[in-house]
Amino acid sequence: MGDPRKGILRFLPEGASVPLIPGDTILAHAIRSGVPILSPCGGEGRCGKCRVVVSGDVVGGDDPWALSPEDLRAGTRLACRCLPLEGEVVVTVLPESRPARLSAYIEGKEMAEDGPFLPLHVVPRKGIPLGVALDAGTSTLAGALIDLRNGSVLARTAADNPQMACGEDLISRIVFGEENPDGFPLLRSLLLTGIEQVIAGLVRSSSVEGEIVEVTAAGNTVVSHILYGLSPAPVRRPPHRPVLKEYPVKTGKDLGILSAPSARFRIFPSIGGFVGGDIVSGILASGMHREEDVSLLYDVGTNGEVVLGNREFRIACSSSAGPAFEGGEVACGMRAYPGAIESVRIDPVRLSAEWTVIGGGKPAGVCGSGILDLCAELFRTGLIDRAGRFVPREGASFRDTDRGKAFVVVRAEQSATGADIAFTASDLKSVVRTKAALCAAADALLRAVGLSREKVERVCIAGGFGNFLDLRSAQTLGVFPPFPLKKFVLLGNASLAGAIGALRNRKRWEEAGALCASTDYHDLSSDQGFMELYQRALFIPHTDAESYRGNPLPETAT
Amino acid sequence: MTVPNPKQSFPGRILPVTLPAGPGGTPVTVGGQNALSLAPEGEKPNAAAIGMEARTGGGDLPPSLAKAFEGRATDPVSFAGACANEWGAQFLFLSLDGCHPDGGGQSVEEGARIVRDILAAVSCPVIVGGTGEEETDAKLFPAVAESAGRPVFLSYANEKNYRLVGGAALAYGHGVVAWSPIDINMAKQANLLLSDLGVPPERILIDPLTGGLGYGLEYTYSIVERIRLAGLSGDVMLARPVLCHLGDAWKAREAVDASETSWGDAVLRGRRWEETTGWACLAAGADLLVFRHPGNVEAFREAAWR
Amino acid sequence: MALTALDIYKLLPKTNCKECGFPTCLAFAMQMAAGKAGIDKCPPASEEAKAALGAASAPPLPRIVVGIGDRAVTLGDEVVLFRHEKTFYHPTAIAISISDALGDEALEERLRSISALSFERVGQILAVDMVAVRFDSGDPARFAKTASASLARCGKPLLLSGTCAALAAAVREVGPSRPLLRPPPGEAAAGAALAAAEKLPLAVPARGIEGLAAALAAARAAGATELVADPMPADAAGAVADSIFIRRLAIVHRAREIAYPTAFDLGQGFPRPFEAACLLLSKYASLLVLDTADPAEIFPLLTLRQNLFTDPQRPIQVDPGIYPIGKISPSSPVLVTTNFSLTYFTVRSDVEAAKTPAYLLIAECDGMSVLTAWAAGKFTSESIAALLAESGISGKVDHRTLILPGMVARLSGKIEEISKWRVLVGPQESSALPSYLRRLPPAAFVPSHG
Repeated sequence: MGDPRKGILRFLPEGASVPLIPGDTILAHAIRSGVPILSPCGGEGRCGKCRVVVSGDVVGGDDPWALSPEDLRAGTRLACRCLPLEGEVVVTVLPESRPARLSAYIEGKEMAEDGPFLPLHVVPRKGIPLGVALDAGTSTLAGALIDLRNGSVLARTAADNPQMACGEDLISRIVFGEENPDGFPLLRSLLLTGIEQVIAGLVRSSSVEGEIVEVTAAGNTVVSHILYGLSPAPVRRPPHRPVLKEYPVKTGKDLGILSAPSARFRIFPSIGGFVGGDIVSGILASGMHREEDVSLLYDVGTNGEVVLGNREFRIACSSSAGPAFEGGEVACGMRAYPGAIESVRIDPVRLSAEWTVIGGGKPAGVCGSGILDLCAELFRTGLIDRAGRFVPREGASFRDTDRGKAFVVVRAEQSATGADIAFTASDLKSVVRTKAALCAAADALLRAVGLSREKVERVCIAGGFGNFLDLRSAQTLGVFPPFPLKKFVLLGNASLAGAIGALRNRKRWEEAGALCASTDYHDLSSDQGFMELYQRALFIPHTDAESYRGNPLPETAT
Repeated sequence: MTVPNPKQSFPGRILPVTLPAGPGGTPVTVGGQNALSLAPEGEKPNAAAIGMEARTGGGDLPPSLAKAFEGRATDPVSFAGACANEWGAQFLFLSLDGCHPDGGGQSVEEGARIVRDILAAVSCPVIVGGTGEEETDAKLFPAVAESAGRPVFLSYANEKNYRLVGGAALAYGHGVVAWSPIDINMAKQANLLLSDLGVPPERILIDPLTGGLGYGLEYTYSIVERIRLAGLSGDVMLARPVLCHLGDAWKAREAVDASETSWGDAVLRGRRWEETTGWACLAAGADLLVFRHPGNVEAFREAAWR
Repeated sequence: MALTALDIYKLLPKTNCKECGFPTCLAFAMQMAAGKAGIDKCPPASEEAKAALGAASAPPLPRIVVGIGDRAVTLGDEVVLFRHEKTFYHPTAIAISISDALGDEALEERLRSISALSFERVGQILAVDMVAVRFDSGDPARFAKTASASLARCGKPLLLSGTCAALAAAVREVGPSRPLLRPPPGEAAAGAALAAAEKLPLAVPARGIEGLAAALAAARAAGATELVADPMPADAAGAVADSIFIRRLAIVHRAREIAYPTAFDLGQGFPRPFEAACLLLSKYASLLVLDTADPAEIFPLLTLRQNLFTDPQRPIQVDPGIYPIGKISPSSPVLVTTNFSLTYFTVRSDVEAAKTPAYLLIAECDGMSVLTAWAAGKFTSESIAALLAESGISGKVDHRTLILPGMVARLSGKIEEISKWRVLVGPQESSALPSYLRRLPPAAFVPSHG
């Protein structure tokens, strides 16, 4: 503990205060005090997203590539590079540096048919027996509160996964854990804090008197390991195998979740190192494991998992697509939060953008679905070519930035931040790479088992992004192989829906276990053909343009 | 006993492409086949075309070429004449390496002038190669395209500069060699981009980048086979003639080093090094080959079964 | 195998019992579809499955071994028509001829020159594989003596080409070395009988494919089982056509009567033998006999063979090491990246576009790109620091500043700590290198002292 005479850091708007520890960055102080600040690059000083306004005695964090002279004059600094020196330092976390809360992430298509409700293992000491279904995602924790007498959903909520401060993607978090003393314990305590927050939020919003006796938790393998108390480090190195695939039941007390100490925690089993219980839960919710027809299931998120199969077989992989469709890696990107542009159209004549914003009002950035629309529109209007490069055209608003040429989506006068909202060449590259990985992953699975695209009857899209996915934009860009649009089914948060289903019906939980054991994990990094499929998918919509012929080409050729 | 018929037929056909000649010259047409190279099957209306490279930059010659060019005038125009009229090259590949900042520092105007002079001096088809240096080529291609006296092919356009080179070709009626770095998808992508720009398919040749013997040849070999198979199987964007420029073969130490006696005579060895590269490319499906050694031009033109 | 993984999976028990060593029946089916496992690994498979899958996986081309020990040569045993479909397994064997009519000195010189045909390239020794002894003298005893001398001097497996009398004499002396016997077409029956009796491999010469099929059938009838086909073409065009057709018949049509490895004699006045050798190396020949022992010709042929028979399924990589770009000097910047060829090529081209001479230091990363290699633990602070210490780059530059790909900026601190080099974080995208390099202050590369 630091000497309080040395100084104090006060975080606004939370009001949290912590002793100033010389040598630690503002970000490190924030992590320690539980103040959430976005840090996709894990505090490496690469992404520029951890912006705070500082008053007091500090040094550093004034990197010119991330902060303009105006920013610096206003006291803005990068939290990961700024060191408080002494005295009282007040740190205001800017709205765009906050991970967001998304209602979008908690809705999901309910599981098709539910059987009778089965008896409980634990009798509540007082009140109604309650169950919590948890989707422990990489970026978002979502939960639902269930009345176990009749299976009804009493409340839903979501919170950010506090682990985001240690890295946006799973590998960064593992690296954080390996390279920092107490890194893994810190990651675990952040996760538990987040889960407690979700449970507290559920209980608060339902106003039902009861006790939580059952919890089902669906998370990817890394998060599941951390929750269970295992180090996920082995997952990072070949052959990328999980330490455990099945997690024996533990109580909340065993796990350290104090708001449900006597509840039995059932963590969904993992299929492989990078395909976890959240996918098992998603498969359960989709019902693909019970059908003759062959389906594809996509979980569109940072990890980009894809599953191919039916009741006879299933094979799954993780494309490590990247966070572009969640607003990460894109300079003007943000989570689906009020102020985020969620859909875009570009007028083909004036070549200017029109948009809709979540919550109305002025836009502050662009979220995943908006980014997808934007890229599709840029391609349709001929402002980008097939290779994903900008094409200068009369009337279109382009600017040069130090991340390359940029298309101005929103002019400064019309934006909430007072600065242009511009989509750079570098951002475009991120999006194209993300979509190429997702597209190629499905083709890789089809090739591995020897099925042609025509044999796929249904394409299920899951993941928080899924609710607002404009399929036409997705196909224009070539996010998926060219399946007819009518085959697509949007599932929303299938992982949560599966967790709810397993909570309500014991048979579903057993089904999840069985389907997991018989689902193959396909490692794309050792699939020699994957790089080529990926390379092919880097074109818009694809190098095999003929199979996408249904899609509109740019309306004008240069 | 009858053995099954081993001949193979394909649904597709490689688009014929003609390299135009000057007055009195013989144009070169390649492509048009619907079968793989070397096997006697299908229709193959045009044999592979054999060309020679002339360079505008100076520089040392490997022993094998020094011997072959002994006593020759070395200025580009005379040399081009020898290629076309004495050594039997069906087309000329003119490399403007003299305009590369490190290679002689000739100005863009000089480069364009040499091109014009050579086009007037020989009547065979000509492909003009840039320096490979982005900034110089950005000025060189438009200058050459504008001042060339007759249609040529511009080498090369890739994913980065296709608008510049394709644009110059469209504006002045030239053809384009579409280049990719030993990658079948990038080869197709380059053709897609040029096609979007409006370059007609019969004015495009594919250059997949030819690695010299011992230095990447097998990668080129397989890419050329795959491009050819894709084209013959119906992929229209890849059903185009393939050009293999064998210059990389001369970068091999084995082709030029005269100090290792256990390697045999350097003069013969250099020639064979390029020749081997050429036969392999032909076996894979190349439709145009660019040589530096006149002896190889003769050998390939005489190959009986072509 | 033409069956897909799913086709095969449908024939399996689907119990995931793991007796085959794979976690699920589907995983096993995928291995079988890739030709990496056989149905014999699955004891619980039905008889029907065993029959269907067993037949489909029998090799299309038999395997003939000539010679013994570690110099033995394998002919045949190929499964694809194009190397990119999988790989070619057995490099074409090259035999250099020697005539038994040579005098003692000439013989010794010829054998010496054949032994000298050995070259080292990229860590491999390239050499010819066999000696082909020709019966020109008319004296079987002399033929036998030449065969012995060749075996003793060169230690390579032999191809013995002559009448049955000569072959029989030679077999008495060198039989245990498992030579390949090639009797003339006129002595086919006797030749086959000899090969059968001695259990030696036999080359069967006959003109044309139909003729060959008949001659091979006759040889089998006489009891000879290890056969190599020689279609006796008149020129390179004919040779290549025969080679392509025979290989297609074996692999695509499964025509067992002609499915054999092929041998071609490109000596004895065969027109344009160098051309023929290049084309046949590219197109399926199992064995070539050449009269030339000139290293200027053999070296390129062996190199072509080396190239064509490398495994194309390894990702395209460049050799790790130091690659100078432009007119380098001791103050030129040093950049590091992985040995995936596309990465190397892209970065190299961007550095060239920058017109700043520089050293490109390439790390061994199994051909992975930067992010993939980092995620797999192959491109780490430790490995980069080791590269700085061991590659010799310290001897080429007098500064100690390294430029790191922006994608792995996180490694910079640790690299500095371990290697004591200073690390600058480069751009995330290689395409930004030209502007990055141009903006670098020259002060970054002053010589370091100590």
